[in-house]
Amino acid sequence: MSTALKDPIEPTRRGSGGGPLGRAAHSLGPRATGFSAVGVKELRGRMRGKRAFVLLTFYLVVLGGFAWMVELLLERSFTGNFTSVTYASAQIGRFVFVALLLLETLLVIFLAPAFTAGAISLEREKQTLDLLITTPISSLAIVLGKLFSALSYVFLLIVSSIPLTALVFVFGGVAPEDVIKGYVMLMVTAVGLGSVGLFCSALFRRTQAATVVTYFVVLAMTLGAFFVWVFWGTMAGGGFGRQQFDNNGNPMVARQGPPPEALLWFNPFVSAVDVICGTETGSFGGTCSIIDVVTGAPDPNSSIGGGDAVAGPLPAKGGGVFNGGGGQVVQAVPQPVVAQAAPSRDSFWPRAAAAWLVLSLILVLLSVNLVSPTRRWHRPRLRRRGGNPTGGQAVSGAVPIRDPAAGPLAAPEGDAP
Amino acid sequence: MSSIVRAIGLVKRYDRTLAVAGLDLDVAEGEIFGLVGPNGAGKTTILRMLATLLAPTAGDAEIAGASVRREPDAVRRVIGFMPDTFGVYDDMRVWEYLDFFARCYGIPAARRRTTINDLLDLVDLGDKRDAYVQALSRGMQQRLCLAHALVHDPQVLLLDEPASGLDPRARVELRELLRELRSLGKTILISSHILPELEELCTSVAIVDRGQILAQGRVADIERRLRVGAVLRVRVLAADREALESARAWFESDPDVASAEILDDGTIELGFRGDDAATARLLAGSVAAGLAVMTFSRAASDLEELFLQVTDRDPEPAVVAGNAPPPPTGSGALW
Repeated sequence: MSTALKDPIEPTRRGSGGGPLGRAAHSLGPRATGFSAVGVKELRGRMRGKRAFVLLTFYLVVLGGFAWMVELLLERSFTGNFTSVTYASAQIGRFVFVALLLLETLLVIFLAPAFTAGAISLEREKQTLDLLITTPISSLAIVLGKLFSALSYVFLLIVSSIPLTALVFVFGGVAPEDVIKGYVMLMVTAVGLGSVGLFCSALFRRTQAATVVTYFVVLAMTLGAFFVWVFWGTMAGGGFGRQQFDNNGNPMVARQGPPPEALLWFNPFVSAVDVICGTETGSFGGTCSIIDVVTGAPDPNSSIGGGDAVAGPLPAKGGGVFNGGGGQVVQAVPQPVVAQAAPSRDSFWPRAAAAWLVLSLILVLLSVNLVSPTRRWHRPRLRRRGGNPTGGQAVSGAVPIRDPAAGPLAAPEGDAP
Repeated sequence: MSSIVRAIGLVKRYDRTLAVAGLDLDVAEGEIFGLVGPNGAGKTTILRMLATLLAPTAGDAEIAGASVRREPDAVRRVIGFMPDTFGVYDDMRVWEYLDFFARCYGIPAARRRTTINDLLDLVDLGDKRDAYVQALSRGMQQRLCLAHALVHDPQVLLLDEPASGLDPRARVELRELLRELRSLGKTILISSHILPELEELCTSVAIVDRGQILAQGRVADIERRLRVGAVLRVRVLAADREALESARAWFESDPDVASAEILDDGTIELGFRGDDAATARLLAGSVAAGLAVMTFSRAASDLEELFLQVTDRDPEPAVVAGNAPPPPTGSGALW
């Protein structure tokens, strides 16, 4: 990033810093200068020594080992099941991609908030924020610098796994676009979840509180919203917009429409599944049908069997990714690998990505306001006693010296400036 | 000399408490201006408002012509602020710390290195350049923090209790450093509750209590203005306690003496209302009355004593315009 970053001790280089980022920032004016100042500072701390690189190596070894084990498992379970070797290979490639993408999604869910939940509150706890605010750099530069330097390590982890993921091309079944989409979604999710952590960090004084609340919010946004979505769909008629039959075989009338898909925008797993299912015509072990249900599109497999309607909405129940899909006929009938995807698929994740970005923008702006010493919007304060804010004299404990409301520039009596 | 820091009716209210109650301040360029007051008097709130870290509830202040309300960015460029408590970043070397702040002020890369070296030499941390910040001693961190406040060559320095937690040697060094900065043309606002320090250092002081300035001006001026309750200490050669008591009674009978009491070591301490002439007359009178006066002195009226006099005065401070604060309910509870 900067020359000073690479070797802080070397006397000919140190302090001469800036580098391309610094120079570019300088030409962009004070806002970018502040952003680069915060960024360079944070990265210097994070990347110092061997720690960051040892962790990165460990992560890649674990990820590689995981992919290898998944591949072995699939090989074992597919032996003899397929007549076409090409098709089996493509299935393996796709499954390995799915496994890696879901694991990395999980990783982003855990890591992105962890890196940002202390970004501002640690500065407050260490009493360094005041020093930062009295410099001319803007609150926006502080917040964005913090966000992206905290996320830079998450980005590094994500990007460094691309070569590993690219190994699935050896097996086939996954197009480069799918990988790109998957990674775009991972990055966007990291930014979104990072902003959630950052906002909590700006809102709460203590890092511990910020971290706990961040994870609670993340849990609510992912699992909580998913549960609400399932609950809503079931209570609204049980069919998630699809035709249901009662015990006597008569068609049931859905009381309400399907639950809004917006409930699931912030569940990164659903977006990951949508990316995976983009080129998939089948229900992929029951997993892909969730996307059709979410987007309210007609189920492409509904003609195959009624059993799918039961297994559809809940991927966990409908048979996981690895077991052939409980009670589904789809898996037994080999489908062409390159086929026209259902029109409803591959359209959910862009909407989810947009939702994440909008949320990030809002949270960043709120954080800027919270960091700014002269904030424009204040949290409403609860006044339990003497609710009149101007009635300072009536409230015990106040020092009624001069009513500030008398005039903002009021000079003391008989002492006009 | 024009005034470079000006506060007009500055008010800060926290919920139900008034931390700063209509403050007026005028600090001329090139001064070392001391804000003295007990803990909780509002010194930190005043400095934080001047440093644009707190928005005033009412009133305004100008630093080098820029309003802290309307032009905080302009203010930030002309001030260097050192808070009373500050932390340092972990995992950062001394030069990186200064480099970071130099970047924040947009100092071009070419100039950063020389600036950092000059500053480290100024605060005598040249040999700690590559040390980690968290490994420095408290005094060194204090000097580093001062260096950070100087990185952009500000006109005004706002230092909140810069000497707190320093050992005597570090204090002397800090005092020297501040004198040097003054000779470089900086205006320095410094707050402290350690008074002897400010007395030697400051050209002017303001005594602050409960968010108000009780007295303001040159140290000597305040002293003269407040020389109302001077303390005289007299030692008289007395054979026994009775003789001492009769000497005390003689002093007490003087119309200018408000109180007279015998201390444990035999010194008679007089609360004296008179001026210099009255003091001389009292001494001559006591000798003429046959008292064997050994020493007769005015207790050194230093800032500390002034401070105690001014802040003890209840319930109405004489110097303050406006309404008086209510009787003290424990000034520490104010904020």
